[in-house]
Amino acid sequence: MKFEKELEDMIHACAQCFYCRVCPAFQSIKWESVSPRGRVYMLKGLKNKKIKLEPQLVEDFYKCTTCGACEEQCQTALHLVDLWEMARAEMVKEGLAPLPVHKKLRELALQTDNPYGEPKEKREDWIKGYKYEENAEIMYFAGCTASFRAVELAKNTVDLFNKVGLKFAYAGKNEYCCGSPFLRTGQRDVAYGLFRKNYEEWKKRGVKTIVSSCAGCYRTILIDYPKIAKELGLEWNFEVLHTSQLVNKLIKEGKLSPQKFSAKVTYHDPCHLGRHTKVYEEPREVIKAIGAELVEMDRNRGESFCCGSGGGVKSQFKDLAGAIGKNRILEAKETGAEYLISCCPFCKYHLKQMADEQGVQIKVVDLVEIVNNLAVKGEYKGDDIRCA
Amino acid sequence: MAEVKEIPKSDWAVHRYLYTRDISNAPVINLLLKQVDVIYQPRNEREVLEVLRIAKEEGATVVPRGAGTSGYGGVLPVKDIALLRLSRRKTIMIDFTRMDDFEIDEEKRLIECSPGAVWWEVEKKLNKKGLTLRVYPTSAPSSTVAGWIAQNGYGVGSLKYGGIAENVEKLRVADFSGVKEVEGKDLKYYIGMEGITGVITKAWVKVKEMEEMKYYGFHVSAKEANKIVFAGDHYAGLFLDSNYVKLKNEAFGTELPEKDTLMVATTEKLDGDESLGEEIWETRFYPMRVRRLGPGLVAAENVLPAESIPAYLNKLNKMIKKPHGSEIWYSKGRKGAVLSFIPSDERKFFSYAFTWFNSIRALKLAKSMRGVPYSTGFYLSSEAKLLFGGDYSELREYKRNVDPKGQLNPGKVFPVGVFPLAMGILQKVIP
Repeated sequence: MKFEKELEDMIHACAQCFYCRVCPAFQSIKWESVSPRGRVYMLKGLKNKKIKLEPQLVEDFYKCTTCGACEEQCQTALHLVDLWEMARAEMVKEGLAPLPVHKKLRELALQTDNPYGEPKEKREDWIKGYKYEENAEIMYFAGCTASFRAVELAKNTVDLFNKVGLKFAYAGKNEYCCGSPFLRTGQRDVAYGLFRKNYEEWKKRGVKTIVSSCAGCYRTILIDYPKIAKELGLEWNFEVLHTSQLVNKLIKEGKLSPQKFSAKVTYHDPCHLGRHTKVYEEPREVIKAIGAELVEMDRNRGESFCCGSGGGVKSQFKDLAGAIGKNRILEAKETGAEYLISCCPFCKYHLKQMADEQGVQIKVVDLVEIVNNLAVKGEYKGDDIRCA
Repeated sequence: MAEVKEIPKSDWAVHRYLYTRDISNAPVINLLLKQVDVIYQPRNEREVLEVLRIAKEEGATVVPRGAGTSGYGGVLPVKDIALLRLSRRKTIMIDFTRMDDFEIDEEKRLIECSPGAVWWEVEKKLNKKGLTLRVYPTSAPSSTVAGWIAQNGYGVGSLKYGGIAENVEKLRVADFSGVKEVEGKDLKYYIGMEGITGVITKAWVKVKEMEEMKYYGFHVSAKEANKIVFAGDHYAGLFLDSNYVKLKNEAFGTELPEKDTLMVATTEKLDGDESLGEEIWETRFYPMRVRRLGPGLVAAENVLPAESIPAYLNKLNKMIKKPHGSEIWYSKGRKGAVLSFIPSDERKFFSYAFTWFNSIRALKLAKSMRGVPYSTGFYLSSEAKLLFGGDYSELREYKRNVDPKGQLNPGKVFPVGVFPLAMGILQKVIP
């Protein structure tokens, strides 16, 4: 395995203090080979040839949702998520990764430009009936999950945009996966290809601002894309917003005045929106603006506990994703909230599944679904949402 | 008895490698250490006893492990040959990760903890009930209750409440003959003994009501710091020498004035800088961030009488030529645990090894000024007599009685084999 200087320096800077024990994977599995400290020490061992790069080690290395809880606690302030992704990319180069399901996602994405393997033409099915532009300064980037699996999120988002008269473009079948699943699992080549396609599309349409309702896409476009653009010698001058930020802005500017929402709610910080991009307060400000009673879970903001589905864990390690998700849904239940709000289709989908499995009576919804339902001019009527 | 197969265990080569470490990286001395053969993760006391039964049956040695956050080699298995034994014994590690539950007795102001309970998890639960720990280590976010008790030492709150030893009410311990509960004067057979006399399976620790605490910062010398710290009934005192503040600024990206700085946590009103005090208090769990500057770190930790500390720092600063710094947590009885850091790139073997000698030189200096090492573990077992003073012979005799075959964490606390002799010689020859 090759160790670039940046990777090697991080390995040696680790104090082995184990503040990263908060790792949701370690909390579930209890063996250090799935803990951040253990992973750093494994890398050290590989570099010093004390241990061998073997399939079980690689598998344990991938039992990480890249949630970044470790980074938040790290005594030596290491960029651990970057470290995991760099190391995974090296494991791919060594031929011991990607893991079987991640490899399958790669094959599907290479064929269809989305990891679900859905036909490209189907990508824009959900937007029928909504008004959008071919070219505009604001581009709505729905992402694969909202386009194929959680269409209610995409629909509510553009419905809300229509209600407030926001002029936005949508690329339809010319929107491509952001590449997040591949960056997170060390398959950088696939992500670079997808980046190029999206980038060219946005440039062609004169886009200045990209709005995403998916925390994973938002993180990728905000953080990874500028780095990739720099590597490829491309100019990067896009503003990137998450829907929660845009909604908060619209409310503050008086362009959106939702009705009041008389419910007790709790908020789950998606890792990619919270820890990765530090968007903690905007969703909470929206929740307060609609008048809901927000009850925080014990672990919130920087200390928020992952839902369990990120980093390729849900696709490859269903049991682990389930164990982590169960932990989180039970924490949400403890608040006594009626609604569990999040800002990520992945979190929503997984936590809803966990609530059903555990028999937890809590409605799992995305923030934009609630706001859209409360928006004055709207026609959309969600089943679960209760207005004051 | 539980079936052996029911207890989570692993002998996978990667786990054996991962569990054979603490936060230290001692050059050359590593040659005396070996890997564990199997790691057990018991879930309750019954399973701990079962692991001990297996160890007895197999003639194996047993190394208990909390979070592995100490740096004295207390959880590192020592080669039998280094202990002057010709036959190789199997080494079993008991990892307490799965025994991390605890209960709070609000009335008695006590916590009843399983060995793997993590200090800061306990603190968070206590706070919800209006209670708080009296003392906790600066590694509280990860270190375990039994781990710190087995290591012994001082930490946050020691200025008012003393070391952890003074805050343990009762222990439950397991050895090859079963389980017993110890309290009062018998606690000394287990606190700071690193599992060589028995394995802690439960600990009762004193806690207190939460109080409104203020944090004050002062730019004063170590001598002046002594006057402020011991003048009132303060909860905690932390001194950072100017060298450490410089390293801290570099590692944290902060701009603290690079002067000797004292932080006092207290319920009393003091004439200090509250924002400075709060800033230092908030980073109390991050002393090792300076490791980034190596990348790597050599540390030395000694406990000195408060009156000796100014002169100790003065001499230490002249002695160590590389960038370094020290922080001091004060303790009841006019003492201070001086922790000195020297960032050093551990990839540069000779330079790192040479830097490591500084920790031995710091110990030698501390001893010349009525100081003692913070702990013994494996690396400093040569210092046990100094650390335990008048109790040394009694404790050693107790160890012989309870573990006649030397299976419980051999090579720790008391000097056994070649290494303590080498350390003794090294201290004599090192300038």
